[in-house]
Parts: sequence; C-alpha cells; structure tokens
Amino acid sequence: MAQIEQSSGGGKKKKGAQKKMQIHVDFTPMVDMNMLLITFFMLCTTMIKSQTLNISLPSNEKVEAAEQNKAKESEAITLILATERDSQGNVKNGPDGKPLNTIYYYEGKPVVEDADHDGLIDNSNLKVEHFIGNEGGETQGIRNILHNKNKEVLKRIEEQKTKWRNKEISEDEYQALAKKIRNDSTLTRPVVIIKATPEASWESVITALDEMQINQISRYQIDNINQVDSVLILDYLAKNRK
Amino acid sequence: MGKVKIKRKSTLIDMTAMSDVTVLLLTFFMLTSTFLQKEPTTVITPSSVSEIKVPTANVASVLVSPEGKVFIGIAGDADADMADIWGSEATRKQVLEQAASNYKKYTGKDPQITTADLNKFAKINMFGVPMENMHAFLNLSQTKQDEFISDMSNPQVGIPMKEIVYTDADGQKIVTNEFQIWMRAIYNSGNDNLQSAMKSGEGIAVKADRGTPFSTVHQVLDNLQTMKMNRFSVMTALKTEQD
Repeated sequence: MAQIEQSSGGGKKKKGAQKKMQIHVDFTPMVDMNMLLITFFMLCTTMIKSQTLNISLPSNEKVEAAEQNKAKESEAITLILATERDSQGNVKNGPDGKPLNTIYYYEGKPVVEDADHDGLIDNSNLKVEHFIGNEGGETQGIRNILHNKNKEVLKRIEEQKTKWRNKEISEDEYQALAKKIRNDSTLTRPVVIIKATPEASWESVITALDEMQINQISRYQIDNINQVDSVLILDYLAKNRK
Repeated sequence: MGKVKIKRKSTLIDMTAMSDVTVLLLTFFMLTSTFLQKEPTTVITPSSVSEIKVPTANVASVLVSPEGKVFIGIAGDADADMADIWGSEATRKQVLEQAASNYKKYTGKDPQITTADLNKFAKINMFGVPMENMHAFLNLSQTKQDEFISDMSNPQVGIPMKEIVYTDADGQKIVTNEFQIWMRAIYNSGNDNLQSAMKSGEGIAVKADRGTPFSTVHQVLDNLQTMKMNRFSVMTALKTEQD
C-alpha cells in the first residue's frame, strides 16, 4: 500500500548524509471505495422532483338547480374524456396494450332531439377529437379548438410575453398582467366543463387539465358524467358503426 | 565500453488525482441527494406543464395504485427544531391515536393500538391496511411489513372505503369511511403548519398512475370533496418534448 523507497544514489554516499525517502501511498483502494459510494448515491437519489398540479373541486353538497351559476351557452364547452371503442363497443387498445384516449366535446347545450323517431339524435353537436398538441408550431386536436375559443385572452397574453422577452417588463410584472388578462371578464372567455367517463385514464384527465394551463383558460371545472352525456356518446358510436 | 543501463520504471500509477475527483463527486451526490421514499407500489405519474414543486414537509400524500388500493403517507415539519414537536414521527403518532379513537367511536370496535404500536407506526412512511388489522400489521418485522403491503392482490391491503354509518347521541346519521377517518385525523393532528397547508391545498397530494381508470381515482377525489377538502394537488412529472 504505502511504500518507502530509498533513493539509491549510486553508491557514492557521504557518510552521515540523510537518506532521501520517497513515500508512495497507493490510493487505488480508496478510489475503489469512493466509486462504490458514488454508485450507491447515484442509484438512490431522485434528481427530478415531481411536480404538482393544483386542483380545486366544487363542493360535493347538492346545489339547487336554480342556484347553479349557469354558464353562458355560447361560452360553455364540455369535454368528455373516454377511451376509443370499436364498432362492437369494446375498448380498443393501442400498440402498448393500453386503452387509447379519446375526447368528445360539444359546445353549449347538448342536442338530444329526435324528431323523426329513428332512435338517432338529429344534428348532434357532439364531436370527437384527440390530444395531439402542437405540430410545427400549429396547435392541433383539442388544443386547437380550445385555442380558438380563448383567442382574445391568448392574443393579449402573447403581447405581454413579447414585451417580457424583450426585457421591457420583469417576469413578476408579466405574471401579474397575465393573471389579470386571464380573469378579465370583458373578454370572451370559454367555460370548460371536464367530464371523465369511468374508464378514462387518469393521464387523460391530467392532460385535459394541462390543456387549460396551456390555453390560459381560467374558468374550468371537473364534473360528474350524467345520462345525457352517455346518451350522446352511444348515439355517436351508433352513427359511426360502419 | 560501458554497458547501456536500461532504467527500470516503476509501474505505480499515482491515484491521488483520481481519488480527489471521486471524493468531489461523492460530496456532490451526498449533498444533493434526497432519498426515494419507500412506497408500496411504483406508479408512473402523468406528465404536465405545471412547474410547482412538491413540498417535502407538511404534506399528506395519497397514493392510488392502479388496482384501486389507497395508501397514505404523512410528512411533518422538516425543521430540526420541530422534530420533537411536529416532526413527521410526532405527527404520525398523533394521527394514529386520533384515527384509532375515531374508528372506535364510529364502529364500536376497538383496534387495540398500544403505545408500542404508536412508536412503530411513527417510523412508517406510507401505510395502508384496514384499521382492524393495524395492530397485527405493526407487530410484523419491517421486512415482513414491506412484503405484506406490496402485495396488491391481497384484499387486506389498502385503506378500505367501505361505508361506516354511525348514529350519534342526537340521532343524527353520519356516513364516513376509514379513508375519511384518516384524513380527518391528519387534519386534526394539532400540527398547525400541516393543517394550514392542507387548507390551501398544498398539503394534500394525490398520486396516481397514468394508466389508472378515472373511476378508481374518482373515489378518492369524491371522498376528499365530501370532507370539503376541495383544494388539493396532484403529482405529475415534468412534460418532456416527446409528450
């Protein structure tokens, strides 16, 4: 481990001269041990802390129908999170064996009239979309629909963002302004109602909530699915059975 | 003519520099590391763009496994000064005491929690067994406990959501369940910091796997709503480019 080498001076040594000693300490075992400890710490640490998403749900108490604050019809958009189903109504699985997320939506009130009594809803306003996100800078899928619904707010926030990027305003100022714009009642802002079917994955719920953040929508709520929604989906599936 | 002497070189490599580097790295990892908390089951949280970090102290985390089993973890104050008053261990003791007494009150069954059980419970990060099995569970060795709680097919694992109907002295009906008893006990554990964190929503963190059906998570959310804990946070991972 540690050696003391005597320098061999070639035999010509003065009597009484101090011997020169060179000390070598072998650090190899020390390095071994350190590497082991590093490996241990590397494997045991979590570098990435998980993030959180804040949610506030409405109270569970029964509210009288009259007392419910009705959203303006033109502003309301209802998202129904579900899984994709085939023509027989079985849940379709994606390539990874998990059900595929799909999203139904309607604007305003659901249409459930069936004037010609053929068992199908006439002019159902239920449409289907997917979570796609962005492609080449263009918003797609459900994001595009929400984006268009909240155009006014997004445009104004974008203006402030450019100011912030150009260092005209500080980040705090930008955040405060963005918050003000999001809650500005003079602008047309959508009210999004998120409903999830029991089989919808938790991921799709989070993605839907995420879309609210991405599209700067301040008014949204998670609601329970009701019979009308189920009827709409069944009707949609019945029409697209071919 | 003199012979040319070939000098013998030593094969020793100086490891000092290498050792310096490793010690430096080791110091870095030791200082930055936060250990993974032991959880009964591994869940992959869905990703979101939210950038709010999970608090490490004063948080009650509710873990929902893909099978629908519910576990609760309690973390008290991280402050060393608070260790004796409202550190995680002291808070957990209070919680179990409260929960056990409420369970006895609502069901009429005594879970028979002893002082030794309280001390053992204080060491557990995440728990999830029915109250009636709590005493037996705490008497297991630690490895046995981990084994027991990680078995997702066991019906005795997870906090039950079965309704408990209790009629109080005034004849009023109270419908509750064990999950609600636990959450109430955490809220009322006397730790003011934890209570205010729970009020603002940062103190309750729901963690569920991305593939879990909504109906499974919904029963937890529904219970939280019933308890008027309408604000809470859900744990997510940071969204990456390909998401």
